[in-house]
This record gives sequence, structure tokens and C-alpha cells, in this order.
Amino acid sequence: MSQAKYRLSSIQAVHGKTVSLAIDELTIAAGETHLLVGSNGSGKSTLLGILAFLNKPQQGTVYFDGVPVSWEPKECAALRRRVTLLHQTPYLFSGTVAANVSFGLVSRGVAKESTQRMVRESLERVGLEGFELRKARQLSGGESRRVALARALACKSEVLLLDEPFANVDRASAALLESVVTSLVAGGITVVISSHDELLGAKLGARVIRLEDGRIEGESPASEQGPTPSEEFLRLTGRENAVS
Amino acid sequence: MGFITDSLREALALILAGDREVFSAVLTSLNVAVWSVIFASIGGVPVGIAVALGKFPMMGAIRVLLNSLMAMPTVVVGLVVYGFLSRMGPFGSLGLLFTPQAIIIGETVLAMPVVANYTLAAIQGADQRILPTALTLGASRFQSLCQLTREVRFGVVAAIIAGFGRVIAEVGVAMMLGGNIRFLTRTMTTAIALETSKGEFAFGLALGVILMSVSLAVNIFLTLAQESHSA
Repeated sequence: MSQAKYRLSSIQAVHGKTVSLAIDELTIAAGETHLLVGSNGSGKSTLLGILAFLNKPQQGTVYFDGVPVSWEPKECAALRRRVTLLHQTPYLFSGTVAANVSFGLVSRGVAKESTQRMVRESLERVGLEGFELRKARQLSGGESRRVALARALACKSEVLLLDEPFANVDRASAALLESVVTSLVAGGITVVISSHDELLGAKLGARVIRLEDGRIEGESPASEQGPTPSEEFLRLTGRENAVS
Repeated sequence: MGFITDSLREALALILAGDREVFSAVLTSLNVAVWSVIFASIGGVPVGIAVALGKFPMMGAIRVLLNSLMAMPTVVVGLVVYGFLSRMGPFGSLGLLFTPQAIIIGETVLAMPVVANYTLAAIQGADQRILPTALTLGASRFQSLCQLTREVRFGVVAAIIAGFGRVIAEVGVAMMLGGNIRFLTRTMTTAIALETSKGEFAFGLALGVILMSVSLAVNIFLTLAQESHSA
């Protein structure tokens, strides 16, 4: 296994009086795809919130790149610039698509020219070339999700967390997402995806972590054969004859 | 009915003739209202955001207090600020009593709870995903709050306009702290009260027409802002 990006030790998260997450030990390897699988309420989103440094667990220690996280506001703000979470139902800010995609870059103080280039590249990556000046609120559901993905990609974070990205998406969007995840991991980015569908693990070549009632019920290593891309992905990328 | 129509005709003549006294009262009113709303917004908007998002103790009590302050009678505000600005008060040496600045101070106190409460309501009604989205995209806490405010800007503008409405129409503070001094602290409302009591109904009506026009203009602005926001 590669070097650990995250290590979670004796983590407990509580909502009200309910323990929503209780993890004794979990390691997220750097530069790999991880699939969190579980039913509703199994703790997937809670875990992603912790990995995104948005929610502090009530107990336990999170190590990021081997360093224990203190959860001080300044430290969390700095860590959030290295990790991006794409929510299940992403929120697009009012204004243009470009304003949305550039949000993370503007927050980081990236120069205007670089920002424009990175916005353009991110939109091209999700198949929305020329959408810069479109009003974000006037997009279709599928386009909105792609803009949210482009916005997350533009941040060029070390870790990308995707909360149920394959839920309610058409085949073309799912294939696009697969290709984005594959290329990110090839570029050394750590990707953590939550899903109900365990079969995605084989498709993405991901290590599967099964969650149930906030606890880890089992883990499967990543397929040694690597990702098994969907037919749609192969068709879209012109590689349909590459795999027999 | 003839009395009303005659007075209205006379009032319109005063407005069209650009009567100096009428327009002095209008300018004084707008001057003190605009400045007090600017100061009330500088204080009230952050207070509204802090109370809406804060998790400190006594939050419920603070909200009740803000609500109560919203309904505070203008003469009570005038009375309290008068106590501070009068010769024997802690700020008496500044010589602010019966100046436009004194009215601005009083009206700021009057408008701030209105601005804070409306801002609070706007923030509470905002989409719960705004802050986590901004934070996870790498924005600092301050940048995220700015983005949240930007997302609910129509509500915040409504808060500021409500504050303006509160001060442009009030009499108590302007009367007690301004003293209704001609060409200095006489506002539209204090002038209406005075001139009507003197039997100058047409003069009062002229100011009333202008006051209503200002309120209408503010509402038109709000409606246009709402339409452009939802577009």
C-alpha cells in the first residue's frame, strides 16, 4: 500500500445522543481510490465530513500526511485548501458558471489570468466548454452537477472526496465521472467516494470500505487488475476495442 | 372635501415652487436617515449574522432582546440618548444635543435592531449548504461568511431598507434630539407635526406627499432589486 494520506484512530462522532460513527482504525492510502459503501445512515457522509475537515469528531485522532490534526480553526482552514468535498446535492452560488468554478481559486488568491485558464480547463474536463458566462441557476440538474465537479477540480486539491456522485446520474455523466476519477488517481490524487453500489469498486479499481451503523464492517483491497471501465466510458473515450 | 383638495393644490404649488423651508426639511430628513442607516447597517448586519450562526450561550435571550428593541418606542430611544447627550450626561461636553448628529445617533440606535433582525431572518432562511460549500472550496471563515451574505443579499438589502423605513418616518427621536430647529434639525416628520398644529395644513401635506414619494421610491427600488435577483 502507498503512504497513508489519512489515518483515523479511535474516532467517534456523535449526533445528539446517537453515535453516528465509531472507527477504531482506518487508513486512506495516498494516490488511490477508496469507495465507502453502506446503506443510508451508515456514516458515510459523516466520515466524509471529517475527512474534509468540516466536522470535528468528538473523540479520536485524525492524522493527515502523518501529522495529527489539532482542529484549530487556522489549521482546519489550511487543510481545507488541500482537500475538497463534492456534496451529494451540490450548491451552486448565484452568478455565472465562471464565478462558481473560480470560487476556490479566488479564495486562494490565484492570479486572474491563471484563474481564467484553470476555469476553462476545468470546464473542458467535464464537457462544458463555453459555459463560462451562463447563469449557474439556469442550468439543468446534470449540468449543475458537472459545474460543481469542475469547481472542485479547479481547486487542484491533494484529496477529492465525492459524496454519492453516481446517484441519479445518466450513463454519460457516470462515464465522465469514471474517467475524471481515473485520471485524477493517475495524477497522484487521493479520491474517496461514497456509494450504495459496491460494484463500483471493481469498476474504479478502488479499495472498498464497508460501513454499517457507523462502524467498519469490512474492507476489500483494490483490484490488482486496476479499474474495469464501463462500456459507456470506453465508448466515450474511444477505447471500446482496447478491452476485449 | 374642498379643504382637502384646496390644501393638496396648495401643497403641490409649494413643492413645484421649490419652497426653501419644505426642501430644507426634506434634505435634513434624507441626510440623517441615510447616515443613520449606514451606521446601523455597519453594526446591524454583522450582529444579525453572528446571532444567526453563533452558538454561544444565552442565544435565545439575545434574540428576544433584539425583537424587543425592534418595537422600542421612538420617544424612549430619544429619551435615553437625550440623557447621554444632555449637558449633564456623560457626552454632554461634546455639544451634540439639538444637532443633526444627535438625530443620527438616535436613529442609528433605532434602526440597528431592525437591520439586525431582518439580517438574522435572511441568514436563517439561507440554504444550509452555502457555508460548507464555501469552506470545502478553501474559503476562510470570513470569506465564507462574505459569500453567505452575498447569497442572501436581497434579504440584507431588505433589512437595510426596513431600517431606512423605520427612521425616515419617525418623529420622537428627531423631535427630542434635534429640537425641530428651522433650517438645521427640522425633518419632514417634525415639520409636519409642527405646521399642522399651527394650522398650516397645506405645508404639512406638501411634506407628507414628499415623504410618501420617498417611501414609494424605496419600495420600487426593492421590487426592482428582487426582480433582478430572481432573474
